[in-house]
Amino acid sequence: MKFVLARQAAVVAALALLPAASEAIYFRDKISWRSAIPPSEMVTVEQTRGWGDTAIWVDARPDEEFASDHVPGAISLNEDRWNELLPQFLTVWAPGKKIIVYCSSLSCNASREVARRLRKEAQLSDVFVLEGGWEAWLKKNR
Amino acid sequence: MKTPILAFTLSMIMCLGARAELKWEQTAIELHPGPNDKQAVGHFKYENTGKTPVHFKSVHASCGCTTAQTQKDIVPPGDKGEITATFNIGDRTGTQVKTVTVETDEAPNQKTVLTLKAEIPQQLEITPNFVFWKQGDKPDTKTINVKVGKDFTVKHIKVTSSTADFQTKVEEAGSGQFKIDVKPQDTNKITASMLTIQPGDSQKVFYATARITNAPAAPVAPVGPTAPARPSAPTGQTH
Repeated sequence: MKFVLARQAAVVAALALLPAASEAIYFRDKISWRSAIPPSEMVTVEQTRGWGDTAIWVDARPDEEFASDHVPGAISLNEDRWNELLPQFLTVWAPGKKIIVYCSSLSCNASREVARRLRKEAQLSDVFVLEGGWEAWLKKNR
Repeated sequence: MKTPILAFTLSMIMCLGARAELKWEQTAIELHPGPNDKQAVGHFKYENTGKTPVHFKSVHASCGCTTAQTQKDIVPPGDKGEITATFNIGDRTGTQVKTVTVETDEAPNQKTVLTLKAEIPQQLEITPNFVFWKQGDKPDTKTINVKVGKDFTVKHIKVTSSTADFQTKVEEAGSGQFKIDVKPQDTNKITASMLTIQPGDSQKVFYATARITNAPAAPVAPVGPTAPARPSAPTGQTH
């Protein structure tokens, strides 16, 4: 009886594996829409508290969300107007400054992308992504 | 003993068949917009192959740069339609993957994720697009590398500095690459200049920034009630 049950379980598991294996093969070349980011480049609101004036806050959300509200002192730098906004950001940046990029759950991967471009294109270091984004900052500060 | 397994398997297959009323022609679309395109639009076509109407409960794009529109809220049996996903390219480059999550009343919590992948062509890859000297540094030349995208032909580039504080010199580096040497007149004065880079036969312009900087002085406060305005763009004479 135990053998029969085990066999039935194996058959059901095999049936379940078939679509999973097919999907894995079909999507093997597809890239993930959410890029991986090393934990060392993520910071929490608590971690940024001691940084004070040594940090620049960068808002990666769309213009209208920035206009509605943002972290005090934050600079708008989004990919909708990257070419226009980047030079403005660079006039504020100074060597030794940490950069904290945030977006919201509505702007998904934006902070990761902005951080990646600051590192790669402008070759800036000390670029961090705020864990939990704008919503996390709001929760801790208002 | 084989009968229960067969019955279970058949019931599972029948259940899946009954749920899959909205049949999508494709749930992933790859687009190749042109270099001057502002938007990339994907049409996700569907058909209600079931026997009951399907209601769209929600349609959400993964980010603010993408919008999704349904033609109708209710899809009668046998009816066809599409969800149009519009991705606003802005100044994005490279591979962009955006998703639209569609929730219907076919089954509780059943969601379909539609994926829009766009390959944004990049005419020039500029690295770095920012060069700087600290105040008092030796005014050495710094180099900006320009690489022409694989689908483009650029025979020469023109570089213009927005101020006379920096001199620029363009050199061809072969294989669709250029080098821009940037040298400050002196590094005693805090200044910034926007370098406009224009491919020979193109109307499109690219930018890099050169700057003499001092010690950190940005007026930044992570907490507090005030919200300073955005910084203004660097100003200076245009040549």
